Amino acid sequence: MRSYARGIQIVVMRDLDRFWKYKWWLAGLITMNLTDLFIFALIFNGIVNRAYIDNYLLFIAPGITAIATFASAFSIGREVGVEVRRGYTQYLLSLPLTRFQLSIGRILGGALRGLIYQIPFIALLLILYWSIPSIEKFSIMIATSVMLTISMSSLSITISTAVRSFDLQATMRSFTYFVLFFFSNVFYPDALIRKYFPEILYIIISNNPVSIATSIYRWIFGVMPVEDPLILVIKMIIWCLVFFILGSFFYLRNLMA
Amino acid sequence: MREDLRALLLVTLWDVRKVARYKVFLLMRFAWFIVQVSVFAVLISYLVTIRSLGTSGIGYYEYYLFGAYTALLFSISMFRGYEIAEEFEEGIIEYQLSLPIKRRILAIGRTIGGGIASFIYTLPMMLFILLLLGITNPVLIAIAVLSALAFSIGIVGLAINIVFGLKSGDKTDILFGVVDALLVRLSTIFYPLPFLSVFPPYFYAAMYNPLSNMADFLRALFFFQDLKIFIHAPPENLVSYIVGLSVGLSILAMLFIERRVEGGGWK
Repeated sequence: MRSYARGIQIVVMRDLDRFWKYKWWLAGLITMNLTDLFIFALIFNGIVNRAYIDNYLLFIAPGITAIATFASAFSIGREVGVEVRRGYTQYLLSLPLTRFQLSIGRILGGALRGLIYQIPFIALLLILYWSIPSIEKFSIMIATSVMLTISMSSLSITISTAVRSFDLQATMRSFTYFVLFFFSNVFYPDALIRKYFPEILYIIISNNPVSIATSIYRWIFGVMPVEDPLILVIKMIIWCLVFFILGSFFYLRNLMA
Repeated sequence: MREDLRALLLVTLWDVRKVARYKVFLLMRFAWFIVQVSVFAVLISYLVTIRSLGTSGIGYYEYYLFGAYTALLFSISMFRGYEIAEEFEEGIIEYQLSLPIKRRILAIGRTIGGGIASFIYTLPMMLFILLLLGITNPVLIAIAVLSALAFSIGIVGLAINIVFGLKSGDKTDILFGVVDALLVRLSTIFYPLPFLSVFPPYFYAAMYNPLSNMADFLRALFFFQDLKIFIHAPPENLVSYIVGLSVGLSILAMLFIERRVEGGGWK
Protein backbone atom coordinates (compact mmCIF):
# COMPACT_ATOMS: atom_id res chain seq x y z
CA MET A 1 0.00 0.00 0.00
CA ARG A 2 2.78 2.38 0.98
CA SER A 3 4.81 1.59 -2.12
CA TYR A 4 1.64 2.02 -4.19
CA ALA A 5 1.15 5.53 -2.80
CA ARG A 6 4.88 6.19 -3.30
CA GLY A 7 4.47 5.34 -7.01
CA ILE A 8 1.61 7.84 -7.35
CA GLN A 9 3.65 10.42 -5.49
CA ILE A 10 6.54 10.00 -7.95
CA VAL A 11 4.23 10.64 -10.92
CA VAL A 12 2.69 13.67 -9.18
CA MET A 13 6.08 15.13 -8.28
CA ARG A 14 7.36 14.56 -11.82
CA ASP A 15 4.44 16.52 -13.21
CA LEU A 16 4.93 19.24 -10.62
CA ASP A 17 8.64 19.42 -11.44
CA ARG A 18 7.80 19.87 -15.13
CA PHE A 19 5.36 22.63 -14.19
CA TRP A 20 8.18 24.81 -12.82
CA LYS A 21 9.97 24.57 -16.14
CA TYR A 22 7.15 26.49 -17.77
CA LYS A 23 7.96 29.89 -16.28
CA TRP A 24 6.75 31.73 -19.36
CA TRP A 25 3.68 29.60 -19.53
CA LEU A 26 2.86 30.60 -15.96
CA ALA A 27 3.59 34.25 -16.66
CA GLY A 28 1.29 34.06 -19.68
CA LEU A 29 -1.50 32.45 -17.70
CA ILE A 30 -1.26 34.96 -14.88
CA THR A 31 -1.34 37.82 -17.41
CA MET A 32 -4.50 36.40 -18.98
CA ASN A 33 -6.31 36.08 -15.66
CA LEU A 34 -5.10 39.43 -14.39
CA THR A 35 -6.31 41.17 -17.56
CA ASP A 36 -9.80 39.88 -16.77
CA LEU A 37 -9.55 41.33 -13.31
CA PHE A 38 -7.65 44.58 -13.74
CA ILE A 39 -8.70 45.56 -17.24
CA PHE A 40 -12.07 43.99 -18.02
CA ALA A 41 -13.59 44.19 -14.53
CA LEU A 42 -12.20 47.66 -13.76
CA ILE A 43 -13.54 49.18 -16.97
CA PHE A 44 -16.80 47.25 -16.76
CA ASN A 45 -17.31 48.61 -13.28
CA GLY A 46 -17.95 51.97 -14.93
CA ILE A 47 -20.88 50.76 -17.02
CA VAL A 48 -22.46 48.14 -14.80
CA ASN A 49 -25.96 48.76 -13.43
CA ARG A 50 -25.56 49.47 -9.70
CA ALA A 51 -28.97 47.95 -9.00
CA TYR A 52 -27.41 44.55 -9.62
CA ILE A 53 -23.80 44.91 -8.55
CA ASP A 54 -22.11 47.49 -6.34
CA ASN A 55 -18.53 46.75 -7.27
CA TYR A 56 -17.92 44.61 -10.34
CA LEU A 57 -14.24 44.03 -9.51
CA LEU A 58 -15.14 42.48 -6.14
CA PHE A 59 -18.00 40.58 -7.73
CA ILE A 60 -15.93 38.97 -10.48
CA ALA A 61 -12.76 38.28 -8.43
CA PRO A 62 -14.00 34.95 -6.91
CA GLY A 63 -15.08 33.80 -10.38
CA ILE A 64 -11.67 34.60 -11.84
CA THR A 65 -10.10 32.67 -8.94
CA ALA A 66 -12.26 29.67 -9.83
CA ILE A 67 -11.64 29.83 -13.57
CA ALA A 68 -7.90 30.41 -13.00
CA THR A 69 -7.58 26.77 -12.03
CA PHE A 70 -8.79 25.80 -15.49
CA ALA A 71 -5.77 26.82 -17.55
CA SER A 72 -3.16 25.63 -15.06
CA ALA A 73 -4.88 22.30 -14.42
CA PHE A 74 -5.43 22.01 -18.16
CA SER A 75 -1.67 22.23 -18.76
CA ILE A 76 -1.51 18.56 -17.77
CA GLY A 77 -3.97 17.74 -20.53
CA ARG A 78 -1.80 19.57 -23.02
CA GLU A 79 1.23 17.52 -21.95
CA VAL A 80 -0.71 14.29 -22.06
CA GLY A 81 -1.87 15.26 -25.56
CA VAL A 82 1.72 15.80 -26.72
CA GLU A 83 2.73 12.46 -25.16
CA VAL A 84 -0.06 10.69 -27.02
CA ARG A 85 0.94 12.28 -30.31
CA ARG A 86 4.63 11.47 -29.90
CA GLY A 87 4.15 7.94 -28.60
CA TYR A 88 5.79 8.90 -25.29
CA THR A 89 3.24 6.79 -23.45
CA GLN A 90 5.29 3.71 -24.44
CA TYR A 91 8.07 4.99 -22.19
CA LEU A 92 5.63 5.60 -19.33
CA LEU A 93 4.31 2.05 -19.69
CA SER A 94 7.83 0.64 -19.40
CA LEU A 95 8.21 2.20 -15.92
CA PRO A 96 7.71 -0.02 -12.85
CA LEU A 97 4.31 1.57 -12.16
CA THR A 98 0.80 0.25 -12.68
CA ARG A 99 -1.44 1.94 -15.21
CA PHE A 100 -3.77 3.01 -12.46
CA GLN A 101 -0.92 4.62 -10.57
CA LEU A 102 -0.01 6.54 -13.71
CA SER A 103 -3.61 7.59 -14.24
CA ILE A 104 -4.19 8.81 -10.68
CA GLY A 105 -0.76 10.41 -10.59
CA ARG A 106 -1.38 12.42 -13.75
CA ILE A 107 -4.78 13.67 -12.54
CA LEU A 108 -3.44 14.62 -9.13
CA GLY A 109 -0.37 16.21 -10.75
CA GLY A 110 -2.65 18.46 -12.80
CA ALA A 111 -4.74 19.22 -9.75
CA LEU A 112 -1.65 20.19 -7.75
CA ARG A 113 -0.59 22.54 -10.54
CA GLY A 114 -4.02 24.17 -10.44
CA LEU A 115 -3.89 24.52 -6.68
CA ILE A 116 -0.44 26.09 -6.66
CA TYR A 117 -1.49 28.45 -9.41
CA GLN A 118 -4.60 29.43 -7.48
CA ILE A 119 -2.73 30.41 -4.29
CA PRO A 120 -1.82 33.96 -5.46
CA PHE A 121 -5.42 34.50 -6.56
CA ILE A 122 -6.72 33.42 -3.16
CA ALA A 123 -4.20 35.80 -1.58
CA LEU A 124 -5.53 38.49 -3.92
CA LEU A 125 -9.08 37.76 -2.70
CA LEU A 126 -7.95 38.19 0.90
CA ILE A 127 -6.39 41.55 -0.02
CA LEU A 128 -9.32 42.77 -2.14
CA TYR A 129 -11.93 41.88 0.50
CA TRP A 130 -9.53 42.73 3.32
CA SER A 131 -10.94 39.98 5.51
CA ILE A 132 -9.79 36.59 6.74
CA PRO A 133 -12.47 33.88 6.68
CA SER A 134 -13.11 31.68 9.72
CA ILE A 135 -11.24 28.35 9.94
CA GLU A 136 -14.44 26.51 8.99
CA LYS A 137 -14.97 28.63 5.87
CA PHE A 138 -11.29 28.52 4.98
CA SER A 139 -11.37 24.69 5.14
CA ILE A 140 -14.39 24.67 2.82
CA MET A 141 -12.53 26.99 0.42
CA ILE A 142 -9.51 24.65 0.32
CA ALA A 143 -11.72 21.59 -0.16
CA THR A 144 -13.59 23.36 -2.98
CA SER A 145 -10.32 24.30 -4.69
CA VAL A 146 -9.02 20.73 -4.41
CA MET A 147 -12.21 19.31 -5.93
CA LEU A 148 -12.34 21.95 -8.65
CA THR A 149 -8.73 21.39 -9.70
CA ILE A 150 -9.20 17.59 -9.74
CA SER A 151 -12.28 18.12 -11.94
CA MET A 152 -10.43 20.43 -14.33
CA SER A 153 -7.35 18.22 -14.51
CA SER A 154 -9.51 15.14 -15.22
CA LEU A 155 -11.54 17.01 -17.82
CA SER A 156 -8.40 18.16 -19.62
CA ILE A 157 -6.98 14.62 -19.67
CA THR A 158 -10.29 13.37 -21.05
CA ILE A 159 -10.19 15.92 -23.89
CA SER A 160 -6.51 15.38 -24.71
CA THR A 161 -6.81 11.62 -24.89
CA ALA A 162 -10.05 11.72 -26.86
CA VAL A 163 -8.65 14.13 -29.51
CA ARG A 164 -5.21 13.71 -31.05
CA SER A 165 -4.75 16.65 -33.40
CA PHE A 166 -2.85 19.59 -31.87
CA ASP A 167 -5.11 22.28 -33.32
CA LEU A 168 -8.30 20.36 -32.53
CA GLN A 169 -7.06 19.95 -28.95
CA ALA A 170 -6.50 23.71 -28.76
CA THR A 171 -10.00 24.25 -30.17
CA MET A 172 -11.56 21.82 -27.71
CA ARG A 173 -9.66 23.45 -24.86
CA SER A 174 -10.91 26.91 -25.86
CA PHE A 175 -14.42 25.60 -26.44
CA THR A 176 -14.55 23.94 -23.01
CA TYR A 177 -13.14 27.09 -21.44
CA PHE A 178 -15.79 29.28 -23.05
CA VAL A 179 -18.64 26.91 -22.23
CA LEU A 180 -17.52 26.70 -18.60
CA PHE A 181 -16.97 30.45 -18.51
CA PHE A 182 -20.09 31.73 -20.30
CA PHE A 183 -22.44 29.10 -18.83
CA SER A 184 -21.42 30.10 -15.34
CA ASN A 185 -22.18 32.84 -12.85
CA VAL A 186 -18.66 34.29 -13.07
CA PHE A 187 -19.78 37.39 -15.01
CA TYR A 188 -23.36 37.81 -13.87
CA PRO A 189 -25.32 37.30 -10.64
CA ASP A 190 -27.61 34.26 -10.29
CA ALA A 191 -30.60 36.59 -9.79
CA LEU A 192 -30.12 38.07 -13.25
CA ILE A 193 -29.91 34.63 -14.89
CA ARG A 194 -33.04 33.51 -13.08
CA LYS A 195 -34.92 36.69 -14.01
CA TYR A 196 -34.26 36.64 -17.75
CA PHE A 197 -33.58 33.02 -18.65
CA PRO A 198 -35.74 29.87 -18.56
CA GLU A 199 -35.49 27.84 -15.37
CA ILE A 200 -33.75 24.95 -17.14
CA LEU A 201 -30.93 27.23 -18.30
CA TYR A 202 -30.62 28.68 -14.82
CA ILE A 203 -30.32 25.13 -13.43
CA ILE A 204 -27.61 24.28 -15.98
CA ILE A 205 -25.64 27.47 -15.33
CA SER A 206 -25.87 27.33 -11.55
CA ASN A 207 -24.79 23.67 -11.50
CA ASN A 208 -21.71 24.18 -13.64
CA PRO A 209 -18.66 23.26 -11.45
CA VAL A 210 -17.15 26.71 -12.00
CA SER A 211 -20.43 28.35 -10.87
CA ILE A 212 -20.59 26.11 -7.81
CA ALA A 213 -17.01 26.96 -6.81
CA THR A 214 -17.62 30.68 -7.52
CA SER A 215 -20.77 30.66 -5.35
CA ILE A 216 -18.85 29.00 -2.53
CA TYR A 217 -16.05 31.60 -2.74
CA ARG A 218 -18.61 34.42 -2.85
CA TRP A 219 -20.34 32.99 0.19
CA ILE A 220 -17.03 32.70 2.04
CA PHE A 221 -16.19 36.37 1.39
CA GLY A 222 -19.72 37.57 2.01
CA VAL A 223 -20.37 38.82 -1.54
CA MET A 224 -23.53 36.77 -2.06
CA PRO A 225 -25.58 34.81 0.45
CA VAL A 226 -26.12 31.09 -0.19
CA GLU A 227 -29.15 29.14 1.00
CA ASP A 228 -27.24 26.00 1.95
CA PRO A 229 -23.46 25.85 1.39
CA LEU A 230 -23.48 22.11 2.19
CA ILE A 231 -25.57 21.43 -0.91
CA LEU A 232 -23.00 23.27 -3.02
CA VAL A 233 -20.18 21.23 -1.48
CA ILE A 234 -22.07 18.00 -2.20
CA LYS A 235 -22.59 19.05 -5.82
CA MET A 236 -18.87 19.79 -6.07
CA ILE A 237 -18.05 16.32 -4.70
CA ILE A 238 -20.32 14.76 -7.36
CA TRP A 239 -18.66 16.73 -10.19
CA CYS A 240 -15.24 15.83 -8.87
CA LEU A 241 -16.07 12.12 -8.81
CA VAL A 242 -17.67 12.16 -12.26
CA PHE A 243 -14.72 13.94 -13.89
CA PHE A 244 -12.20 11.81 -11.98
CA ILE A 245 -13.80 8.61 -13.24
CA LEU A 246 -14.00 9.97 -16.79
CA GLY A 247 -10.40 11.20 -16.76
CA SER A 248 -9.09 7.91 -15.37
CA PHE A 249 -11.09 5.89 -17.88
CA PHE A 250 -9.86 7.87 -20.90
CA TYR A 251 -6.27 7.93 -19.71
CA LEU A 252 -6.31 4.16 -19.11
CA ARG A 253 -7.93 3.60 -22.49
CA ASN A 254 -5.18 5.66 -24.07
CA LEU A 255 -2.48 3.63 -22.29
CA MET A 256 -4.05 0.38 -23.43
CA ALA A 257 -4.24 1.60 -27.03
CA MET B 1 5.48 37.43 -63.56
CA ARG B 2 2.88 35.01 -64.88
CA GLU B 3 4.63 32.12 -63.15
CA ASP B 4 4.71 34.11 -59.94
CA LEU B 5 0.99 34.77 -60.13
CA ARG B 6 0.30 31.11 -60.79
CA ALA B 7 2.45 30.15 -57.80
CA LEU B 8 0.66 32.74 -55.67
CA LEU B 9 -2.69 31.29 -56.67
CA LEU B 10 -1.53 27.76 -55.87
CA VAL B 11 -0.26 28.70 -52.42
CA THR B 12 -3.38 30.73 -51.67
CA LEU B 13 -5.66 27.91 -52.76
CA TRP B 14 -3.65 25.44 -50.68
CA ASP B 15 -4.71 27.31 -47.54
CA VAL B 16 -8.25 27.97 -48.70
CA ARG B 17 -8.89 24.32 -49.62
CA LYS B 18 -8.09 23.27 -46.07
CA VAL B 19 -11.29 24.96 -44.92
CA ALA B 20 -13.30 21.92 -45.98
CA ARG B 21 -11.20 19.70 -43.71
CA TYR B 22 -12.22 21.55 -40.58
CA LYS B 23 -15.92 20.91 -40.37
CA VAL B 24 -15.77 19.97 -36.69
CA PHE B 25 -13.68 23.02 -35.92
CA LEU B 26 -16.14 25.26 -37.73
CA LEU B 27 -19.15 23.68 -36.04
CA MET B 28 -17.58 24.09 -32.61
CA ARG B 29 -16.66 27.70 -33.25
CA PHE B 30 -20.17 28.39 -34.46
CA ALA B 31 -21.66 26.72 -31.39
CA TRP B 32 -19.32 28.71 -29.16
CA PHE B 33 -20.34 31.93 -30.92
CA ILE B 34 -24.03 31.11 -30.49
CA VAL B 35 -23.43 30.60 -26.75
CA GLN B 36 -21.52 33.87 -26.59
CA VAL B 37 -24.24 35.80 -28.39
CA SER B 38 -27.28 34.15 -26.85
CA VAL B 39 -26.13 33.71 -23.26
CA PHE B 40 -23.18 35.94 -22.43
CA ALA B 41 -24.18 38.92 -24.58
CA VAL B 42 -27.84 38.82 -23.48
CA LEU B 43 -27.03 38.63 -19.77
CA ILE B 44 -24.29 41.23 -19.93
CA SER B 45 -26.58 43.59 -21.85
CA TYR B 46 -29.09 43.38 -18.98
CA LEU B 47 -26.30 44.09 -16.56
CA VAL B 48 -25.04 47.28 -18.19
CA THR B 49 -26.43 50.35 -19.86
CA ILE B 50 -24.77 52.58 -22.43
CA ARG B 51 -27.86 54.62 -23.27
CA SER B 52 -26.97 57.12 -20.54
CA LEU B 53 -24.43 58.63 -22.93
CA GLY B 54 -27.11 59.35 -25.48
CA THR B 55 -27.45 56.45 -27.91
CA SER B 56 -30.87 56.29 -29.48
CA GLY B 57 -32.46 52.89 -29.82
CA ILE B 58 -29.23 50.93 -29.92
CA GLY B 59 -28.40 49.14 -26.71
CA TYR B 60 -25.36 47.30 -25.42
CA TYR B 61 -26.43 44.05 -27.06
CA GLU B 62 -26.24 45.51 -30.59
CA TYR B 63 -23.02 47.30 -29.70
CA TYR B 64 -21.42 44.11 -28.42
CA LEU B 65 -22.43 41.91 -31.39
CA PHE B 66 -19.91 43.63 -33.66
CA GLY B 67 -17.30 43.37 -30.94
CA ALA B 68 -17.98 39.65 -30.53
CA TYR B 69 -17.62 39.10 -34.26
CA THR B 70 -14.37 41.09 -34.43
CA ALA B 71 -12.92 39.17 -31.47
CA LEU B 72 -13.84 35.91 -33.15
CA LEU B 73 -12.32 36.96 -36.48
CA PHE B 74 -9.16 37.97 -34.65
CA SER B 75 -8.95 34.68 -32.70
CA ILE B 76 -9.54 32.53 -35.77
CA SER B 77 -7.00 34.48 -37.80
CA MET B 78 -4.46 34.11 -34.99
CA PHE B 79 -5.38 30.45 -34.85
CA ARG B 80 -3.71 30.02 -38.23
CA GLY B 81 -0.57 30.29 -36.16
CA TYR B 82 -1.41 26.99 -34.42
CA GLU B 83 -1.85 25.38 -37.81
CA ILE B 84 1.51 26.66 -38.99
CA ALA B 85 3.02 25.40 -35.73
CA GLU B 86 1.60 21.99 -36.53
CA GLU B 87 2.97 22.22 -40.07
CA PHE B 88 6.40 22.91 -38.60
CA GLU B 89 6.10 19.75 -36.47
CA GLU B 90 5.03 17.71 -39.47
CA GLY B 91 7.77 19.07 -41.74
CA ILE B 92 5.32 20.73 -44.14
CA ILE B 93 7.02 24.11 -43.77
CA GLU B 94 10.38 22.61 -44.77
CA TYR B 95 8.64 20.99 -47.73
CA GLN B 96 7.14 24.33 -48.78
CA LEU B 97 10.48 26.12 -48.39
CA SER B 98 12.03 23.52 -50.74
CA LEU B 99 9.46 24.14 -53.49
CA PRO B 100 10.47 26.11 -56.59
CA ILE B 101 8.45 29.08 -55.38
CA LYS B 102 9.93 32.42 -54.42
CA ARG B 103 9.78 32.94 -50.69
CA ARG B 104 8.01 36.26 -51.01
CA ILE B 105 5.33 34.52 -53.07
CA LEU B 106 5.07 31.80 -50.45
CA ALA B 107 4.71 34.40 -47.69
CA ILE B 108 2.12 36.49 -49.52
CA GLY B 109 0.22 33.37 -50.62
CA ARG B 110 0.10 31.96 -47.11
CA THR B 111 -0.98 35.32 -45.69
CA ILE B 112 -3.74 35.89 -48.24
CA GLY B 113 -4.80 32.23 -48.23
CA GLY B 114 -4.85 32.16 -44.44
CA GLY B 115 -6.80 35.41 -44.36
CA ILE B 116 -9.41 34.16 -46.82
CA ALA B 117 -9.72 30.82 -45.00
CA SER B 118 -10.11 32.57 -41.64
CA PHE B 119 -12.73 34.86 -43.07
CA ILE B 120 -14.65 31.90 -44.56
CA TYR B 121 -14.64 30.27 -41.11
CA THR B 122 -16.29 33.36 -39.64
CA LEU B 123 -18.74 33.97 -42.49
CA PRO B 124 -21.61 32.01 -40.85
CA MET B 125 -21.13 34.08 -37.69
CA MET B 126 -21.14 37.33 -39.64
CA LEU B 127 -24.34 36.31 -41.44
CA PHE B 128 -25.83 35.30 -38.12
CA ILE B 129 -25.33 38.72 -36.54
CA LEU B 130 -26.48 40.53 -39.70
CA LEU B 131 -29.62 38.41 -39.54
CA LEU B 132 -30.07 39.19 -35.84
CA LEU B 133 -29.75 42.91 -36.52
CA GLY B 134 -31.95 42.78 -39.62
CA ILE B 135 -29.26 44.24 -41.90
CA THR B 136 -29.95 43.65 -45.58
CA ASN B 137 -28.20 46.47 -47.46
CA PRO B 138 -25.98 44.59 -49.97
CA VAL B 139 -23.51 47.46 -50.46
CA LEU B 140 -22.87 47.81 -46.75
CA ILE B 141 -22.59 44.04 -46.37
CA ALA B 142 -20.05 43.93 -49.23
CA ILE B 143 -17.99 46.67 -47.54
CA ALA B 144 -18.15 44.77 -44.24
CA VAL B 145 -17.00 41.57 -45.97
CA LEU B 146 -14.07 43.32 -47.67
CA SER B 147 -12.97 45.06 -44.48
CA ALA B 148 -13.19 41.79 -42.53
CA LEU B 149 -11.11 40.09 -45.20
CA ALA B 150 -8.46 42.82 -45.07
CA PHE B 151 -8.37 42.65 -41.27
CA SER B 152 -8.06 38.88 -41.34
CA ILE B 153 -5.16 39.00 -43.82
CA GLY B 154 -3.35 41.47 -41.58
CA ILE B 155 -3.79 39.33 -38.46
CA VAL B 156 -2.67 36.17 -40.28
CA GLY B 157 0.44 38.14 -41.31
CA LEU B 158 1.02 38.90 -37.63
CA ALA B 159 0.52 35.24 -36.66
CA ILE B 160 2.98 34.11 -39.36
CA ASN B 161 5.58 36.56 -38.09
CA ILE B 162 5.17 35.28 -34.53
CA VAL B 163 5.28 31.55 -35.35
CA PHE B 164 8.18 31.79 -37.78
CA GLY B 165 10.03 34.03 -35.37
CA LEU B 166 9.54 31.92 -32.25
CA LYS B 167 9.76 28.45 -33.83
CA SER B 168 8.38 26.88 -30.65
CA GLY B 169 4.98 25.30 -30.03
CA ASP B 170 4.99 26.19 -26.34
CA LYS B 171 6.07 29.80 -26.80
CA THR B 172 3.56 30.25 -29.62
CA ASP B 173 0.77 28.90 -27.43
CA ILE B 174 1.65 31.21 -24.55
CA LEU B 175 2.27 34.33 -26.60
CA PHE B 176 -0.95 33.88 -28.56
CA GLY B 177 -2.87 33.53 -25.31
CA VAL B 178 -1.33 36.70 -23.89
CA VAL B 179 -1.73 38.71 -27.10
CA ASP B 180 -5.34 37.56 -27.39
CA ALA B 181 -6.14 38.39 -23.77
CA LEU B 182 -4.51 41.82 -23.88
CA LEU B 183 -5.75 42.94 -27.28
CA VAL B 184 -9.34 41.80 -26.72
CA ARG B 185 -9.64 43.40 -23.30
CA LEU B 186 -7.74 46.58 -24.19
CA SER B 187 -10.09 47.35 -27.03
CA THR B 188 -13.62 48.53 -27.64
CA ILE B 189 -14.87 44.95 -28.08
CA PHE B 190 -16.66 45.01 -24.71
CA TYR B 191 -16.94 48.67 -23.83
CA PRO B 192 -17.28 51.98 -25.67
CA LEU B 193 -14.12 54.09 -25.76
CA PRO B 194 -15.45 56.99 -23.61
CA PHE B 195 -15.77 54.60 -20.66
CA LEU B 196 -12.05 53.90 -20.86
CA SER B 197 -11.11 57.56 -20.42
CA VAL B 198 -11.02 57.02 -16.63
CA PHE B 199 -7.84 54.99 -17.24
CA PRO B 200 -5.72 56.96 -19.76
CA PRO B 201 -3.23 54.10 -20.53
CA TYR B 202 -6.16 51.79 -21.32
CA PHE B 203 -7.86 54.53 -23.33
CA TYR B 204 -4.90 55.15 -25.66
CA ALA B 205 -4.09 51.44 -25.97
CA ALA B 206 -7.70 50.80 -27.01
CA MET B 207 -7.76 53.71 -29.43
CA TYR B 208 -4.82 52.36 -31.47
CA ASN B 209 -5.76 48.71 -31.07
CA PRO B 210 -6.55 46.99 -34.43
CA LEU B 211 -9.56 45.26 -32.85
CA SER B 212 -11.07 48.59 -31.76
CA ASN B 213 -10.66 50.01 -35.25
CA MET B 214 -12.25 46.97 -36.89
CA ALA B 215 -15.17 46.71 -34.44
CA ASP B 216 -15.82 50.45 -34.54
CA PHE B 217 -15.69 50.46 -38.33
CA LEU B 218 -18.41 47.79 -38.48
CA ARG B 219 -20.48 49.74 -35.95
CA ALA B 220 -20.01 52.94 -37.92
CA LEU B 221 -20.89 51.18 -41.16
CA PHE B 222 -24.26 49.95 -39.95
CA PHE B 223 -25.23 52.22 -37.04
CA PHE B 224 -23.21 55.41 -37.40
CA GLN B 225 -26.02 57.77 -36.36
CA ASP B 226 -26.84 55.72 -33.27
CA LEU B 227 -23.30 55.02 -32.14
CA LYS B 228 -21.30 58.01 -33.38
CA ILE B 229 -20.80 59.19 -29.80
CA PHE B 230 -18.69 56.09 -29.17
CA ILE B 231 -16.69 56.06 -32.40
CA HIS B 232 -13.39 57.86 -32.02
CA ALA B 233 -12.57 58.46 -35.70
CA PRO B 234 -14.42 58.95 -38.99
CA PRO B 235 -15.19 55.66 -40.81
CA GLU B 236 -12.72 56.48 -43.62
CA ASN B 237 -9.90 56.78 -41.06
CA LEU B 238 -10.89 53.47 -39.52
CA VAL B 239 -10.92 51.66 -42.85
CA SER B 240 -7.56 53.23 -43.79
CA TYR B 241 -6.15 51.83 -40.56
CA ILE B 242 -7.46 48.35 -41.41
CA VAL B 243 -6.04 48.41 -44.95
CA GLY B 244 -2.73 49.78 -43.65
CA LEU B 245 -2.59 47.02 -41.04
CA SER B 246 -3.26 44.39 -43.66
CA VAL B 247 -0.67 45.64 -46.14
CA GLY B 248 1.92 46.42 -43.46
CA LEU B 249 1.78 43.07 -41.69
CA SER B 250 1.71 41.13 -44.96
CA ILE B 251 4.85 42.94 -46.13
CA LEU B 252 6.47 42.29 -42.77
CA ALA B 253 5.68 38.57 -43.08
CA MET B 254 7.07 38.59 -46.61
CA LEU B 255 10.32 40.29 -45.58
CA PHE B 256 10.69 38.01 -42.59
CA ILE B 257 10.20 34.77 -44.50
CA GLU B 258 12.35 35.94 -47.41
CA ARG B 259 15.32 37.04 -45.36
CA ARG B 260 15.40 35.09 -42.12
CA VAL B 261 13.47 31.84 -42.19
CA GLU B 262 15.23 28.50 -42.58
CA GLY B 263 13.94 24.97 -42.14
CA GLY B 264 14.58 23.03 -38.92
CA GLY B 265 15.22 24.31 -35.40
CA TRP B 266 11.62 23.79 -34.30
CA LYS B 267 11.21 23.39 -30.53
